[in-house]
Amino acid sequence: MSKPHAIVIGAGFTGVAIAHDLALRGFEVTVVERGPIANGTSGRTHGLLHSGGRYAVKDQESAIECIEENTILRKIVPDVIEPNGGMFVAVEESDLEYREEFIAGCEACHIPIEEITPQEALRLEPHLNPKVITAFLVPDGTFDPLRLALAFAATAKSNGAVFHLFTDVVGMVLDGNGNVLGVKVWDRANDERYEIRGDIVVNATGAWVGQITKMAHGHVPITPTPGVMVAYGHRFVQRAINRLVRPSDGDIVLPQRRMAVVGTTSFSVDDVDYIPIIRDQVQMMLERGTKLIPELGTAKVRGIYMATRPLIGSSGPGRSISRTFKAYDHKDLDNIDGLVTITGGKATTCRAMAEKTVDIVCEKLGISAPCTTKEVPLISYRRFYVD
Amino acid sequence: MSDEKWTVTFIIHRQKGPDSQPHFDEFTIEIHPEEFVLDGVEYIWAYKDRSLVFRHACHHTTCGACGMRVNGVEKLACMTKIADVTQDGGKIKLEPLRNFPIVGDLVVDLGPLYRKMHEVHAPEVIPLCASPWEGEGIKPPQETPKREDGEEYIRLPDCIECGLCVSACPTAASDAEYLGPAVLAAIHIQGIDENPDLLALADSREGVWRCHSAYECSAVCPSNVDPAWRIMDLRKQIIARRLKFKK
Amino acid sequence: MLSREQQGLNWLLQWFDPRGRSIGGLAFILNRITALGLVLYLYLHLYYLRQLTMGPQVWNAFIDSAENSPWIGIGELFVIAGGLIHGLNGLRIALNSFNIAVPYQKQLFYGLFTLALIGIAFFAVHMFGA
Ligand SMILES: Cc1cc2nc3c(=O)[nH]c(=O)nc-3n(C[C@H](O)[C@H](O)[C@H](O)COP(=O)(O)OP(=O)(O)OC[C@H]3O[C@@H](n4cnc5c(N)ncnc54)[C@H](O)[C@@H]3O)c2cc1C
Ligand code: HEM
Ligand code: SF4
Repeated sequence: MSKPHAIVIGAGFTGVAIAHDLALRGFEVTVVERGPIANGTSGRTHGLLHSGGRYAVKDQESAIECIEENTILRKIVPDVIEPNGGMFVAVEESDLEYREEFIAGCEACHIPIEEITPQEALRLEPHLNPKVITAFLVPDGTFDPLRLALAFAATAKSNGAVFHLFTDVVGMVLDGNGNVLGVKVWDRANDERYEIRGDIVVNATGAWVGQITKMAHGHVPITPTPGVMVAYGHRFVQRAINRLVRPSDGDIVLPQRRMAVVGTTSFSVDDVDYIPIIRDQVQMMLERGTKLIPELGTAKVRGIYMATRPLIGSSGPGRSISRTFKAYDHKDLDNIDGLVTITGGKATTCRAMAEKTVDIVCEKLGISAPCTTKEVPLISYRRFYVD
Repeated sequence: MSDEKWTVTFIIHRQKGPDSQPHFDEFTIEIHPEEFVLDGVEYIWAYKDRSLVFRHACHHTTCGACGMRVNGVEKLACMTKIADVTQDGGKIKLEPLRNFPIVGDLVVDLGPLYRKMHEVHAPEVIPLCASPWEGEGIKPPQETPKREDGEEYIRLPDCIECGLCVSACPTAASDAEYLGPAVLAAIHIQGIDENPDLLALADSREGVWRCHSAYECSAVCPSNVDPAWRIMDLRKQIIARRLKFKK
Repeated sequence: MLSREQQGLNWLLQWFDPRGRSIGGLAFILNRITALGLVLYLYLHLYYLRQLTMGPQVWNAFIDSAENSPWIGIGELFVIAGGLIHGLNGLRIALNSFNIAVPYQKQLFYGLFTLALIGIAFFAVHMFGA
């Protein structure tokens, strides 16, 4: 029997991790992406390799996923990660109210933390607000977004996956019963249109999953919730600095090459193709950021950017929706065969998202192939271009 | 900050596929002067012309994907403010990077650069001390903070493989085999004493002796790599070896 | 990183097109233009010197016509200008190649170029001045 052919739409973290997993499990894989690798939300993340500490109190399901995946990614793709850890700091008396909950939450989720004195915190991070009251070390990290995605893509490619970049999915190839047989695409770099057929189509288009499912006359519940990030031109910190509070706006500063990046916010929009920079939010990042690193106040802004979380579910304000992910078989959802949609989640958990999605795909197609992505190291991101 | 927007005309290089005839398209949009050129391009794609292709990922200079020529000069579009390259009612001309194969519109294939970086095994992560602090030039930091376990911090290197230096280099324009600024800088950072294979490459016909000292690489590098200085330092090191008859 | 076939004639344009270039790039263009000019001069020089082998009449006639033509003087000034700019800039590049003063290559260029201009002015006055 020839290999089953899977078409993956979207080459963000979710799409490339799925392509990698599918290729390892013996699929013929075609990835269709309308831009370059990681041009959507994935490129524009904060770049925090979550330890889970941020979600340890309110969203423990996500927190556990994070710490597990954090450990795995450090092992399989060390080339793109600054593994310098993270710190949760209290800078105002009121922050201490969260301390007990935080300790208990981290313990429940098996996130290793260590409380250190303000002096020690300032020794490790000299630019920290000198008013720091207490600090915890956590196993956070930072990653280069493009290169994390490229490493998955390179490995998938070396195992046979084919990437069609700058190619939009513009429609579905459907059979008489409305089941999906493939995709209609438009290669915008060469201005050519054609069809690709496969045994299964995986919709990994993040905040855009709704547009794809609509083409198949299906639906999926998601709430696009963007946030802003501001990059300053100086590496003030060596590790991710989190404010010791419930997740809120502008409470993380992290290093990224020679920069410090402050984020983020959370609000709702309808159109996710272009999100204008909201000046008030940039100002807020500065105000909140200087509570952690006072010198940000005089630093030069190097970049400002917006990205859209594809949060699952459709009710409630952004921060109260779970950060976990969900894979849907549209056979169950809308009685459409041949289409699986995955959305939600985090960059940190993309491997687990892929595992879950490919499990569903394998089950649908009656294939038994175990997932090996926890063990298989990824090859250098550069080899996406080398082979 | 005022909320007043500017009217700006983007003149964008268009080409569908490497073999077709290029031309320029004009798009006039309203945009805030504090926004970045990349925001303008994305806006044009979103609302004016869905067929436009361009490269981008991180939008904050850590990935190196959005290199293009803005009014003839190599820039990362994500950090180039509208206000810095035009005025209200003005124009911005966008062209793809030079000296790389064209994929379409503003997209070039950076593959040749990535391949060469791979050949010289440019490190993907480096110790903190191997990258100097801001403003100190190419010198190790005076005081590198240590991790809690006393180990060194590790970080991603400065070079983001954006290709701006290669696009700006007049030597790369006429010599496809020239290693080029970014690759020679990657050799310098690793050290030729420690890496005989890199010494051989740097000292070859397509290595440091190919450079014609236009210094454009360092002028356009958005990431403090200063490749030109590194090329000259490699020359010095190689000459010193020859004079001492070192092997 | 493109081959000559892929580049077409772009490479030639990129050698000499001053648009968007920084000081280092402009110095490169000047160096290359003056170098080509000097080579051209060298060939002309040798070509006319060849007349020496054709006997004194030919040579004297040539010298006469040269003395009456303003172009020779202007040409000579160009040679001097080219030589000064190219030679002084050549010193800068040679120093830089030993990694001397690379961070100051711009200032060095300004300084040496000013020196070249002074030299050119001196010769201009000397040759054409009253
Ligand atoms: C502000 C913000 C900060 C964040 N910070 C972090 C963080 O620090 N750490 C972390 O772990 N996570 C973080 N996240 C979450 C994480 O970035 C996202 O969950 C993740 O990037 C989603 O990846 P994705 O592949 O699902 O979506 P995307 O990256 O958006 O990928 C979808 C892809 O589909 C493509 N596409 C869309 N439509 C079509 C079509 N018709 N045809 C072809 N292709 C199409 C798009 O071009 C896009 O590339 C953050 C999110 C936001 C919004
Ligand atoms: C006055 C003394 C001179 C000095 C110090 C000098 C120095 C230099 C240097 C350092 C270069 C290398 C530039 C580079 O790397 O691109 C160079 C290039 C060159 N020189 Fe000279 N030079 C001198 C005189 C001349 C003369 C008299 C001629 C012509 C007859 C000449 C012709 C050239 C040519 C053709 C090049 C190559 C140009 C290029 O590659 O762009 N030079 N010179
Ligand atoms: S050396 Fe500078 S300009 Fe060249 S690729 Fe690296 S970061 Fe870009």
